[in-house]
Order: sequence, then structure tokens, then C-alpha cells
Amino acid sequence: MDGMVIQLIGSAIAVAAMVALAAWARIARPVAELDTAAVARLLADDYPDHPIDHVWIAADGQGAIARSGDMALVLSLLGDSWVARDLPWDRALASPVRAGRVRLRLGDPGAPVLGLAVSGVRPWPPAQFQEAIAA
Amino acid sequence: MTLDPIVPAFDPVTLAIPLFVLTIVGEIILGRLGKVKANYEARDTATSLLMGLGSTIAGALLGGTIALASIWIWQNHRLFEIPMTAIWAWVAIFFLEDLTYYWFHRIAHERRFWWASHVNHHSSQHYNLATALRQTWTGGVAGTWLLWLPLSLVGFPPAMIAIQKGISLVYQYWIHTEAIGKMPRWFEAVFNTPSHHRVHHARNPRYLDSNYAGILIIWDRMFGTFTPEDAAEPPRYGLVKNLGNFNLLRVAFHEWMAIGKDLLSARSPRDVLGYLFGPPGWSPDGSRETSKTLKARWQARQKAAAEAEPAPPMAAE
Repeated sequence: MDGMVIQLIGSAIAVAAMVALAAWARIARPVAELDTAAVARLLADDYPDHPIDHVWIAADGQGAIARSGDMALVLSLLGDSWVARDLPWDRALASPVRAGRVRLRLGDPGAPVLGLAVSGVRPWPPAQFQEAIAA
Repeated sequence: MTLDPIVPAFDPVTLAIPLFVLTIVGEIILGRLGKVKANYEARDTATSLLMGLGSTIAGALLGGTIALASIWIWQNHRLFEIPMTAIWAWVAIFFLEDLTYYWFHRIAHERRFWWASHVNHHSSQHYNLATALRQTWTGGVAGTWLLWLPLSLVGFPPAMIAIQKGISLVYQYWIHTEAIGKMPRWFEAVFNTPSHHRVHHARNPRYLDSNYAGILIIWDRMFGTFTPEDAAEPPRYGLVKNLGNFNLLRVAFHEWMAIGKDLLSARSPRDVLGYLFGPPGWSPDGSRETSKTLKARWQARQKAAAEAEPAPPMAAE
């Protein structure tokens, strides 16, 4: 039992050292700045059959919401990689903003909520979407 | 020379731990120096390594019961006497254990109940040596170890099976890397390699449900699941639906939670069976995507793109 505990402690120290080394090395993938073309390109990996009507980019550039018909396609940055999900457009529009982030509830145990930064310049929902809805 | 048929003389995985640490450190440093292709993101690396650490704890908790099952069958029901000191016996178990691994791995991808325990290994969007250690916490509960019991029934001593399983796991460690492009052609033809296994970890539709091999890629070639890596389409790693955060409990249990949620909405025994043992992504009305539907749509897009291309000009006579 003692041997196992010692092995466990040793492993935990090794894990901490390797994570520290990975952080020091700064060899994560470069994350491209999001613009409409980048959002369309990234979403095409997960939603190749969904044409994009409008794109809203989060205030910190670490996420986006795109309208595709009656669906909202969501992109969110996790580390140096992107996570994509969809939800009905109406639900996305009605998603609450709390603590400066629009919180999109997905009902998916793998990604229950994605939060994207909003600002005065980039509020959610943006005016262009509201105009599109009004039209 | 005698070898204990019950207690393994050594554990290849334990012996390899220093190698794991040294090679991960080496891959990071060489990546930093720009000598090899290697991407590490600190939180992703922490998740992979902590899943590995948790897996050893989960393994220790259930390992005794699993070993006892193997020992009980071998002691009471073995069909043949297989000596641990015979070279032919080691050759035989090398092939038979690897074949068992292929089918375990295939079931673990193609049937949701077992995918739920294996999915975490594929949940990183990175492909590096740390990803190799992102191991399951629920494999014992899922019962895939039952697939190895026929080896005990045939007569292979439990210690021999345990050692060969360990050798297979250690072999599969080094193929989790982008630092190595292709191995020599003869090696790629016979053995599982970084190139073959990159395809296995890819989420590109064309690569889904491919290359289940442990050590020998020949099983995929034999059973029709082999897909070569295409330089024109680099693998994108991770899951069809990638996870939304690095929470370890979510990584370990999200698919089990999703199964539970689906079972609560099941309306018939067919739904229950489909949600448990159908392919990942199965749904009663077919509205969700499975590997098969994703591949079919990819093929349809390829066909449409080929038809849209203008025909090459006729050669002048």
C-alpha cells in the first residue's frame, strides 16, 4: 500500500512537471483572429452543409454565433482549439447575458453551456439580427 | 526456468513509466526547438495526464476482480496446457491478444455502451504523446475485459496474458505523435504506426471508424477497416462533437451521462437497446449523426464536387 501511495505521489509530481514544461514551451497551436471568413471556414468542418446567413463575433474574439436558416451555429475557443455546437435560432436569440457573457444552454453533457463575451460595441443579440428578424 | 503462471514476472506498463516521462519531455523540447512537429496546450496536457493518473487508480480498484476472473477460468476450465517457457506460446499469444485487441477496439468505437468508456481517449484535439496517456476510468465497469477471457479458457496462463496486454499498451504509446511522418514501407504494411493511428484519432468524416489495430495493422487490412493517411487531407483530431471544457469528470463521464439522459426519454425497448448498443449517434428517428451517415454525406459531397468540375479537354489526335 505504501509503495502504491509513493508511486502515486511520484506520478503526480511528474504530471505537474510535464504540464509546467508544456506551458513554458509555448507550443500551442496559433489561434487565428476571428473574422467572418474564418468563422465560415471553421464551421465548415462541423457543418459543411449549412450555408451561413449572418455572423456575430464575440467581444474577445474567442467565439462566434452564425445564423444558418433556423439554426444558430456556435463556435467557442477552448485552449487553442475550437468547439462547435448548434441550437435553434430562437433559443440562441433568447439566451441570457450574465457577467458580460451570453450563456448558450445546449443540453449536451459534453458541452452543457457555452459562454461568449459581449460588450457595448458587440451586444447580444446584435442589431443586425434584430433587424433581420423584424424584416 | 519456471515462470509464475498467475503473478506476472513484470509489468511492462510500470517499467515503461520513466520512458513515458522522458519521451514526453523530449517531444515538448524538440517541439519548442522546432525540430519536430508537436503541439502542446498546457490545460489539454494536464487533462490527458490526469486522466492517465486517474486510470491507474481506477485500474487498481477493479484490477483484482478482473485478474481473479482470468485466474478462475484458467485454473478450472482451461482446455490446453500451454507452457509459459515455450517460444511458440509467446508467438501465439502475440497474435491472439492482438486480434482480441482489434475486436475490443472496434466494439469500443462502434457500439455506444463501450464507446462511453473509450471516448475520453479521443477527447483531446491534440495528438501527442500525452494524448496516449488519456486513458479510461470506466473500462472495468464497461466489461470489455471479458473479451480476453477466452485466452484463459484456451489455456494461456493469466500472467502471460497480462504481460502481453502490457506489451501491447506500451507499443501503442509511441504511435501517438505527429513527430514521426511515415515509417519504412514494409513497416507501415505490417505494423500500426503513427501515420495509421493519426487516422484513427481523426474526426474528418473520411477517417471515422478506421484503423483499430493495436500492434499489427494487418487486422484492419483483413477486416476492411484500414484507411491510409492522405497528405491532401491532414487529420483533425478529437471528437465529432468536441467537449466544451477541460473538466476531468466531464471528460470521463460525459457519454455515460448522455446515455442516461437518452434512456430517460426512451419510449420503447427498441429505443433502450438502440441508445445502449447502437452505434454512437444512433437515435430512434435517425435525426442524429453516426459515423456512417457522416461518411455517406462526405462521399456525396465528394461526388457532387467531382461532377461539378469541368471535364478535362480532349487530347488532340
